[in-house]
Amino acid sequence: MSMEAITDKHGVKRYLITLNVNGDSYTKVVKGNTVLVNVLRDDLDLTGTKKGCELGDCGSCTVLMDGKPVNSCLVLAVEADGREITTIEGLAQHEQLDRLQDSFVNHAAVQCGYCTPGMIMSAKALLSKNPDPTEQEVREAIAGNLCRCTGYVNIVKAVLAAAKAEGGAAR
Amino acid sequence: MSDNYAVIGKNLPKIDGRVKVTGQAKYTGDLKFPNMLVGKILTSPHAHARILSIDTAEAEKLPGVKAVITHEDVPGLKYGISPARWDENIFCIDKVRFVGDKVAAVAAIDEETVYKALKLIKVEYEVLPAVMDPIEAMREGAPQIHDEYPGNINTEVHQSFGDVEQAFAEAYHVRTDQFIGQRTYQSPIEPHSAISIWEGGKLTVYTSTQSPHYFQYYIAREFGLKMGDVRVIKTYVGGGFGGKLEPTGLEFAGAVLSRITGRPVKMFYDRHEMFAHNRGRHKQIMKVTTGVDKNGKILGVHADFIMDGGAYTSLGIATAYYAGAMLPLTYEFDNYKFDMLRVYTNLPACGAQRGHGAPQPRYAFECHLDMVAGDLGMDPMELRLRNARQPNTVTPNAFQVNSCELKACIEKGVEISGWKDKRGKLPPGRGIGGAVGSFVSGAGYPIYRTNLPHAAAIIKVHEDGTAATLYTGATDIGQGSDTILCQMAAEAMGYNYENMKIVSADTETTPHDFGAYASRQTLMSGAAVKQAGEEVKAQLLEIAAEMMDVAAEDLDCREAWIYRKANPDERKPFTEVAREFFVRRGPLVGRGSYTPPKLGGTFKGAPVGTSPAYSFCTQISEVEIDEETGEVDVKEVWDVHDCGKVINPALLHGQVHGALYMGMGESIWEEVVFDDKGKIVNGNLGEYRLPTALDMPKITSELVDSVEPAAPWGVKEVGEGATIPTMGCFANAIYDAMGVRIHSLPLSYEKVWRALKDKRKKEEKK
Amino acid sequence: MDQFGARGKVLAGGTDVLSMMKQGLLAPEVLVSLKNLAELKQIYADPARGVVIGALATHNDLADSPVLQERYLSLCQTAHHMANNQVRNTGTAGGNLVNAVPSADLPPLLIALGAAVTLVSTGGSRTVKLEEFFTGPRMTVKKDNEILTEIVIPDNSFTGSTYHKFGLRRSGALAVVGVAVAVAMEGDLCRDVRIALGAVAPTPIRAFKAEEVLKNRPVTDQLLEEVGRCAAGESNPISDIRGSKEYRQDMIRVFTRRMLKKAISEGHV
Repeated sequence: MSMEAITDKHGVKRYLITLNVNGDSYTKVVKGNTVLVNVLRDDLDLTGTKKGCELGDCGSCTVLMDGKPVNSCLVLAVEADGREITTIEGLAQHEQLDRLQDSFVNHAAVQCGYCTPGMIMSAKALLSKNPDPTEQEVREAIAGNLCRCTGYVNIVKAVLAAAKAEGGAAR
Repeated sequence: MSDNYAVIGKNLPKIDGRVKVTGQAKYTGDLKFPNMLVGKILTSPHAHARILSIDTAEAEKLPGVKAVITHEDVPGLKYGISPARWDENIFCIDKVRFVGDKVAAVAAIDEETVYKALKLIKVEYEVLPAVMDPIEAMREGAPQIHDEYPGNINTEVHQSFGDVEQAFAEAYHVRTDQFIGQRTYQSPIEPHSAISIWEGGKLTVYTSTQSPHYFQYYIAREFGLKMGDVRVIKTYVGGGFGGKLEPTGLEFAGAVLSRITGRPVKMFYDRHEMFAHNRGRHKQIMKVTTGVDKNGKILGVHADFIMDGGAYTSLGIATAYYAGAMLPLTYEFDNYKFDMLRVYTNLPACGAQRGHGAPQPRYAFECHLDMVAGDLGMDPMELRLRNARQPNTVTPNAFQVNSCELKACIEKGVEISGWKDKRGKLPPGRGIGGAVGSFVSGAGYPIYRTNLPHAAAIIKVHEDGTAATLYTGATDIGQGSDTILCQMAAEAMGYNYENMKIVSADTETTPHDFGAYASRQTLMSGAAVKQAGEEVKAQLLEIAAEMMDVAAEDLDCREAWIYRKANPDERKPFTEVAREFFVRRGPLVGRGSYTPPKLGGTFKGAPVGTSPAYSFCTQISEVEIDEETGEVDVKEVWDVHDCGKVINPALLHGQVHGALYMGMGESIWEEVVFDDKGKIVNGNLGEYRLPTALDMPKITSELVDSVEPAAPWGVKEVGEGATIPTMGCFANAIYDAMGVRIHSLPLSYEKVWRALKDKRKKEEKK
Repeated sequence: MDQFGARGKVLAGGTDVLSMMKQGLLAPEVLVSLKNLAELKQIYADPARGVVIGALATHNDLADSPVLQERYLSLCQTAHHMANNQVRNTGTAGGNLVNAVPSADLPPLLIALGAAVTLVSTGGSRTVKLEEFFTGPRMTVKKDNEILTEIVIPDNSFTGSTYHKFGLRRSGALAVVGVAVAVAMEGDLCRDVRIALGAVAPTPIRAFKAEEVLKNRPVTDQLLEEVGRCAAGESNPISDIRGSKEYRQDMIRVFTRRMLKKAISEGHV
């Protein structure tokens, strides 16, 4: 790896990384095995990104890396060096919620809310790539985000409604 | 009663919706305190073993480790959520009873150090023979799991009402069938987590809980503390479904680690540890016998069940009783016998999962009734209609049923699903099936014996009247109780939902409530909130009467306006009157509490299943089966509910969707599987298969009109009831599609495939 | 990798290696990341060699690749149905091969299409046919000092190919069985066929006997059923949490027949 490394007195290497998170740049020193979700939550206090399984099965920790949804529990912090990361905290513009966030509230798509940030990030990535998705495309996009509360019924409705609202604004 | 409500019955947005979509909502694992340590529990790798020695010296020496504790450092008092069988210790003393049993704990400066330290604790075990099957566990010579419970019998239930033998003797047709349920796990997406802070003589615990009260009660008891010196604060909770009702090792171990170190200690389970701690749904082996007359009228039923309890009691005594108690709710018959054995095994303890004990027996009973209907050549929904419970009746086990629109639910379900055009008439491979269910709207009696009210509430109006805060012990775990209780408060006060604030589920600042279980909060917490709201309104109208120079009884308040009933234009804003109240009399506060009436019979176990009101529902599902692979493709599901007056329709339907989702997962995909050493082989969300968004069919959730006389505004439960018929309705749909009956859950593709293969073999022989 | 040998582990997407590390199944001393080698991400048609897939191309790169969509849509479809969207954005084609999980989805189809892989070390490079690459569960012929850099599908006469993962839910499921076929049709005669099966043996396997049953005979439903039966007989699955041996073998029969029918009538799908 080309990034700067320092070795502590126990012989453990640490790397100097720069993360671009929600438009801000942060410089951090991390171990080679530190995963991105822990840097976001523990070092940057961005606890909107949740941990549910830490194995890439549940999608609670979904963030966007260079615009694509990834499980931040399966991305090493050193791999995120220099990448653009968007977390749930980066969606609302000041007090103005993103359309998806509004739509989740208005369609009762939130129950316990634990899967919600990851779910919204997956949906955000979908709508950025495909502003007018079919129901099947919505379901495919969020299939990696498990929700134990809603049966996905209102989540799918909320994403489709947000897409419509966004399309309407563009036209 | 007028149905002209201003706040209830409306799809108002969830009060915590915004903080949850922005990521601002703090769950226990998101909290940080200065100087906080991280703690973890060391668990047993053996299903059954004697502990010979525990050596913590190496772990203690590791730099960054602040405390290592074993059974020697904690109270030896046994605990458990069921007072009748306290059988757990904070840490095992003499032996471990399942893979995952708790042995020791460490607190250290960070997670990495904690994991290293756990590996340095040396526990010497003498491995003992283990038993993983309840039938094996009851055999002579089987390993004894608890010395106090010979034959590994944890609970025995024998109830008899009327004369079942006589009923069977007189019946036109009697049949017996046996079914087997499976172990499932609640799998909330948020893992369990607790932060304990023991400062001086006071213990504060932030935790992911369904009941701050039971946590407070049992934590205080364990440590010999006064209830008032234990503060339990619920943070946002990422789902519970029954699994977060009782304190886990995290609260007990964390408290001791905090006391020893003088620092806050955060403890958590990872996903695999959640599966190991478990407390999920019991596996039940269910034999059902029913006698009917020529017309399909049920004359008597005998339910003879065995359940695998795992290594400890947890909530299992209640589960054992619930399994049989809920069966007679849906159909009217007088003769009923229920036998149950809850058996210890060397597997994780089972507890309460959505529908508490009732869904599997309901699966067995609803399959069995379809088979009875088949024997009689009768449409299975017609058989259900003929036997459906009527309002204002009493079950053989002495449950008073007030409102009951089960017939209407069945009729509407049949209509909207197109049942009559589909049943037996769909193309090959496609089938439709139905089932019904019922559930309590709150348990008639609390988990431990006490005469405390079941719910209480305080409403404090801000001094200028621009806001009102509801203080309630009711516990929002995602289902939306904070929202609907604020709607109820605003309705009762004559106020606006938008101006409501809520402080809930903190044992120090909010009044007592038993929490989120047994589908109790809409009715019970709601009753307390209504009373508190009405008390605010009455006080306000009194002051307004003075200000407006009219009699208080001539006034009313609605949507934050106080007006003369005779002339609504003569009015004053709520804010003005509330401010004046504060000036003249001090804080404007309303109080409420709720205690259910005395319910149920006097026989042993009579309290379990009592409730002020019962919900009823019908579910119908349509499936398509791949005849070569057994793959079950769920096409559509319909749910029709009698859940009384609805406070927030959007949240209510959300509960139905979620309950159906969980029931569907349990019907076809979900099962906790162990190897022959008692280790879980699928303790992760990749191989324990919750359905994904791609697996979910179209769901139609409908209601029938119903008002419950025993409840505030006529409300009833919905959150658990909608899980109850699901498994049965899928099994019945598969039968309609393929003519094969799957006698065990889950109704997996391979089981369907095998049943089809066996059926073909039989046909070839003929 | 010369420097680290067995102590090192190459990290491509990380979805498999990291989750194994977290479960304590793998504890390398050094993780060597390849993520930033842009040239290993490309997917292109090389006139001399065929279609080249860089080892670091993610599953979604495969699914979205115009070259693959034109030539081997079956590969796009296979990639699209792997794991879930998040994992498809980080998991790589190379990783799916190197980790050598018996239920992996890409190996059967790539074997059916006759693919080979390039293994590079400081000592030079070599090409290995993918069907000779796997030696057991999580074992391959790749030496510790070698890195898998690309996958090459040589030009061929196949007129159709397809893969089906039979999983127990529609997303995030591992294969109970995976069946890939590639066929070269001339009228109703099958001139060449390759059938590769996943999750039914320690490594992905070819169903050679079944292939011979099909070759140069007029295709009928009855013949395809016979081919399926033969393939089932050639498989050697274990019973585990996802399915019994008996069930898996019967699913091989079913999906071999169905996939052959699909590839014969619909081409590369």
